[in-house]
Amino acid sequence: MSITTTATRYREIATEFASVLASPSTEREREQRRIAVMCLPFFVLGTFAAFVPLVVMARMSVSADPFENAGYSLEAWRTLATDSTYLTVAWNTLWFAALTTIVSVALGVAISHALEKYSLPFENVLVAVLSFPIALPGIVVAFLIVTLLGRQGLVTNLAAVFTGQSAIDLATATTVTGLFIGYVYSLVPRSTMVLRGTYAEINTDAEEAARALGAGSIETFCHVTLPQIRPGVVAAIILTFRSALAIFGTVLVLGGLTVATVRINYEISVGFDSQLAGAIGVVYFLFILTFTFASLRFVETSVVEL
Amino acid sequence: MTRWQRMIRRFDPVGRRLVTAVVYAFLAFLTIPIVYTFVASFASSADGVLPSGFATLENWRVVMGYADYGVQTTVGRSLLFSAGIATGGTVVNLLVGVPIAYALTRYEFFARDWLNALAILPLVPGIVLGIAFLRAYPENASTSFGLVVGYALLKSPYMVLTVQSSFQSMDLRRIEESARSLGASWPRTFLTVILPNAKNGIVAGSIITWTLAAAEFNFTYMVYSQGPRPFSLFLFENINNAPFLQSAAAISIYFLIVVSAIVVLQFLGNRGFTTTTTNP
Repeated sequence: MSITTTATRYREIATEFASVLASPSTEREREQRRIAVMCLPFFVLGTFAAFVPLVVMARMSVSADPFENAGYSLEAWRTLATDSTYLTVAWNTLWFAALTTIVSVALGVAISHALEKYSLPFENVLVAVLSFPIALPGIVVAFLIVTLLGRQGLVTNLAAVFTGQSAIDLATATTVTGLFIGYVYSLVPRSTMVLRGTYAEINTDAEEAARALGAGSIETFCHVTLPQIRPGVVAAIILTFRSALAIFGTVLVLGGLTVATVRINYEISVGFDSQLAGAIGVVYFLFILTFTFASLRFVETSVVEL
Repeated sequence: MTRWQRMIRRFDPVGRRLVTAVVYAFLAFLTIPIVYTFVASFASSADGVLPSGFATLENWRVVMGYADYGVQTTVGRSLLFSAGIATGGTVVNLLVGVPIAYALTRYEFFARDWLNALAILPLVPGIVLGIAFLRAYPENASTSFGLVVGYALLKSPYMVLTVQSSFQSMDLRRIEESARSLGASWPRTFLTVILPNAKNGIVAGSIITWTLAAAEFNFTYMVYSQGPRPFSLFLFENINNAPFLQSAAAISIYFLIVVSAIVVLQFLGNRGFTTTTTNP
């Protein structure tokens, strides 16, 4: 098919679509118009609040002038590709997010298992407490970690009393360990909420049958429960990993490791290298986008929970 | 029974106790710093190992702006400002999130799954959106309008998910068909039959998006340049510069907001600060 006929064909489809939207004649067409109208506000917001700014940011990364989008220069991308600092930042971001995700999902499985199976007292209160950190901004989580592990922290002081060392030497809040604990603090509640949804749908008959046939509780978990919650575990890993990637405030306050979000902030606040910040932003956004859509093929979106 | 199975069996009685212990230990880890911060906000001295000199409202007076000294920004003005912006963001989220949640739940259409993923997953981290806004809308990024639009985009997935969860528990097709067969037009059906039935989910979604937007930090920190200081930056200033007890009081204000939100959500049928609604 030649280009002109393809173009004509598309124009025909567009004209038809427009006429359906303007004056629908069948119920099916009316339904299509309803769908279009109901999705429209989202498209408007998505266009002006996400698409346009992101395109401008991509343009910013190749701008010759740091203060406005003018001229073209690939300097920022060259730096990004050749300077090993950025390779380290990427590696830090990935391994740290991956490690905290694995730990958070493992803890999430334990917690949602206990909540679903053990009928713990005051379950409602426990769930409410567990969901509390979802509402906390990263900077507040950082503060809470400092109250535990900072120089005047509770755990630090306790350790100082027992070991006789000075509290200042024992403070770990601003090290990578403190950061790790901060990540886990904000990620476990998210992974648990995803897993709780899956746990609620487990077919308990199979578990009871396994127990009746003589399987122990650990065997039942490994061979009967785990295969059933596997989709939830995969979804929890994906969603927790995405949340971990976006963390900024916690690292800004605690330090300990340079991850991509903090590096973007550094490029802007030290020397205002807006092109480089834009370039990191583009890579970062594209990574999250690709990761999300590539991994969504493994899960049902119905298990998504935030 | 193999040797391996026998070995595993020996751990069975321990397993349950171990998991329970992990759960309680983790809950303690979550709760202790929160409670400690709240309690410390009423102390008058943080010189010792533990805060001492209870109970005084001095720290609260300072952050509330009733003392003659303290941080430059007081909570009253910044919280009011952020509450206004968050309300604006929530209104935009209602207009954007409720219709698309309905379309995605009720209808089958081209690329529905892709659109669903876009609507329920936050794809742009706040910090990236922040630098993008700075260049795309240099005049407006840090104005109230810019913040409202930014918050609306960042928090819309929470609205869509919560409302969707409510819609999913209703038989939308039947409700719609019954109302239509009784003579109601489609818009009337949607506004007077569908929406009132999903009321709990819509209110819950509004509370969640409002609370998150009121303390949004990453995007705000990136775009802020002048004008009234948003609440999250007030918190940041306290965490970075203020004495410990005073920061504790500042943060406790936000704790009170979250606790109130969770209590209301509980009444609406949400279990905690989550997007899952269980319709009565």
